[in-house]
Amino acid sequence: MTEPDKQDLTSRRRNGWLGRWQALRGNGVLGINARNRRYVMRWNVRSKYPLVDDKLTTKRLALEAGLAVPDLYGAVRFQGELIHLDELLAGPDSFVIKPAHGSGGDGVLVVTDRRRGLFIKGDGRALTLRDIEFFVSNILSGVHSLGGIPDVAMIEYRVRPSRLFDAISYRGVPDIRLLIFRGIPVMAMVRLPTRASDGKANLHQGAVGVGIALDTGVTGHGVVRDHVIDEHPDFGTPLAGHAIPDWEALLGIGARCADLTGLGYCGVDLVLDEDRGPMMLEVNARPGLAIQIANQCGLEERLKAVEALIQVPTDVSERIALARALDAEARPSEVGAAPLSGGSGAAAAATSPPQKARRVLLPKVPAKP
Amino acid sequence: MSLRFFARLSPLGAIALLLATVGIGMTLLKAMRYEVPLLPELTTSVWTVEARIGFRGDGGASKVEFLLPPRVSMQRVIDENFVSRGYGLAILETDGRPRKATWTLRRTPTSEQALYYQVRVLGGSVVTDSSVPPFPPVPDYKEPLASAIQSVLSQARAQSADVFSFTEQTLLILADTDDENVKVIRNVQDRPSWEHLVAEILAGARIPTRIAYGLPLERPLVETQLIPWLEVHNGDDWQGYDTATGEPGYPPGFFIWRYDDADLLRTREVRNVQLSFSTTQTSVPQMEVAELTGAAFAAQPFGIDLTRLPVSVQNLYHVVLMLPLGALVVAFMRVVVGVPTFGTFMPILIALAFRETQLLWGLALFLTLVFVGLSLRLALAQLRLLLVPRLAAILVVVVCLMLAITVLSFRLGVEQGLSIALFPMVILAMTIERMSIVWEERGFGETAKETLGSLLVAVCGYYVMNEPHLDHLMFYFPELLLVVLAATLLLGAYSGYRLTELFRFGALSRGR
Repeated sequence: MTEPDKQDLTSRRRNGWLGRWQALRGNGVLGINARNRRYVMRWNVRSKYPLVDDKLTTKRLALEAGLAVPDLYGAVRFQGELIHLDELLAGPDSFVIKPAHGSGGDGVLVVTDRRRGLFIKGDGRALTLRDIEFFVSNILSGVHSLGGIPDVAMIEYRVRPSRLFDAISYRGVPDIRLLIFRGIPVMAMVRLPTRASDGKANLHQGAVGVGIALDTGVTGHGVVRDHVIDEHPDFGTPLAGHAIPDWEALLGIGARCADLTGLGYCGVDLVLDEDRGPMMLEVNARPGLAIQIANQCGLEERLKAVEALIQVPTDVSERIALARALDAEARPSEVGAAPLSGGSGAAAAATSPPQKARRVLLPKVPAKP
Repeated sequence: MSLRFFARLSPLGAIALLLATVGIGMTLLKAMRYEVPLLPELTTSVWTVEARIGFRGDGGASKVEFLLPPRVSMQRVIDENFVSRGYGLAILETDGRPRKATWTLRRTPTSEQALYYQVRVLGGSVVTDSSVPPFPPVPDYKEPLASAIQSVLSQARAQSADVFSFTEQTLLILADTDDENVKVIRNVQDRPSWEHLVAEILAGARIPTRIAYGLPLERPLVETQLIPWLEVHNGDDWQGYDTATGEPGYPPGFFIWRYDDADLLRTREVRNVQLSFSTTQTSVPQMEVAELTGAAFAAQPFGIDLTRLPVSVQNLYHVVLMLPLGALVVAFMRVVVGVPTFGTFMPILIALAFRETQLLWGLALFLTLVFVGLSLRLALAQLRLLLVPRLAAILVVVVCLMLAITVLSFRLGVEQGLSIALFPMVILAMTIERMSIVWEERGFGETAKETLGSLLVAVCGYYVMNEPHLDHLMFYFPELLLVVLAATLLLGAYSGYRLTELFRFGALSRGR
């Protein structure tokens, strides 16, 4: 069958549900059911889940392995400890409180400053100590944890986002999600907080996910609430074409995190701190699938390629080389020629040139609204 | 070809196939072999046979004894009914003898009296008593009858091989009215019926016979009498014969009431006794027949028979057996369709409540409860309560709301409002709590989405669990649970896209 014929056929089939189904299949898009059955259940040993479900444990493991993580200022385990909360918070002016068993960025409180005994939240609102006590007590009761089991509240270092992201991030801390399969990074995206997400880097709450080419560390399209976008919804700045600094190091940290948790299929969340550089935030045993939309690429092909490997190299740099090769191989047409093949023409024009130029992300003046 | 198909099955596919085969196989066996109907509305035709005993009393005590059909005929009867206003009724049962109904009355009026006995009989094959008779003595015929009979018998003996063919030949010869011997025989008029005479002739060859009195169930009859029918025993079985044609068999659906000349009716102190029979055909649900006879469930060598349990337990199982179907709906909606819901099984519990409240009322009551509960929960948020006491507080609020709605609807005379008490309160309280958290963290949109998803699944579950055909199937064929299990196993192995993902990943469905 010649190429035009094939295209004609697919375009005709594209209508209707069956057509969509076949198109998704054809593009190797991974669905939730397939992810759970073929990857999460097969490659993630249940006994390793507590290592990542409890962020305190993950943090300890990372520290033992010599990986950078945000400092832990303290942990509240029992309601009774709440009377000592003021002592725990006596340290630095800014901190983050989050549940050790939280999921999807729920229940995270960011305090950026304190003024006259009040704590100033990320969005500028002031909280009293009693507000924070109530918040912590909710965490302890298990409001944010799966199944409502009692939880532990962690108080830790607030990451200062790297200035590099100022132009494309609203307030909070952008984080980088690496999808790691058998210790090899297979896909990456950066999650940028928006006004809608209340400064949180959480896709469910309306943050933007921006695909990153594994090979180059250069950003591509964005996704917000499952729709593809090419400009930041708050600033209108182009999302594509930013090179993430220290890309090689980030990939390395991701691969090592996956090693130390022992999960075959996981998502590693990293942040770039202005002073301390790359840090590991958490590891997710059931990473979401929106990363595919952000990268405009299905996961299945890459996962199969990695699954087909008989022996995965133990050396981290070898694995990263492998990941880059896989990426370059998996989407030569998208990275090389036009990143939006078949997409809108205007967006393609805006994003294709920087792919070669590898523009380095510099602190830019944000477009003022 | 088929072998290759089995070889390609995954272990899970094989297990599912096995379960489904066993479940469906047992169901079909039960349906075919034991005639448990697969559909509740299947009907079968049933004959009502009514005996009417009419008489006049003489003012004093009276007694009517009536012979009821023999035990073997009662196998075809699904129920019996005595209509005898004011009369004392006793049913006597002696070993090996048919039952006898005795009606008595101290002061019998002189006006026309009527006693009725009704049986409902299944159509279909004739059953007759299988007891083995002794060989009859050769009767002492008078001339010229004796020589006529002897000649007929020897003629028949020459043309036959066994008892049944001998009987057939004899009857054929007797059917030929031009024959001189037959003319002699047919001249005899003092026997109760032609069948009795034929029986006497066959006794000449020492063939055991008896006369069965019964009613043909072919078309409705009014004010008729039992008809005699010849039966011949060949040493193993009884066989009916049509004495007019010599054909073996019985009239269609022949219902045998008594054998030989036992007294059908015996009366004391009454006058003008008349006995007559009527038959009429009605169609009744097969289920009723199966339940009345109990035969459908009595002889099951395997499988689960719920109809023998106490009624309250049966009612419970009517509900319990629908739950797996509800769970299947939830699994399907979540795995294949991808509908977001609050909690996993909250929708089926809500659907169960809908079963009792009716759908529209259920939806209205549910939404009212959730709406008011949620408002109060958001108000409670100001008080900063700990989680578990807060849940308990919401539970109290939910119960108060239910009480309020019940009392209000009772005052207004709206019956449906009373059924609100059937909602699972604890589940509702937890749902409200989760809703308020989703609301606070993800906003109204997400809350509305999950609420609508839960309601959609609940409504689907309601329609599935409220389907009378499915209820019938699950209750009478609990083996189908294996099929449900097979379906859930297959759903658990489904790794295709969810329907909602077709839209979620819409951006990726463009061809390359």
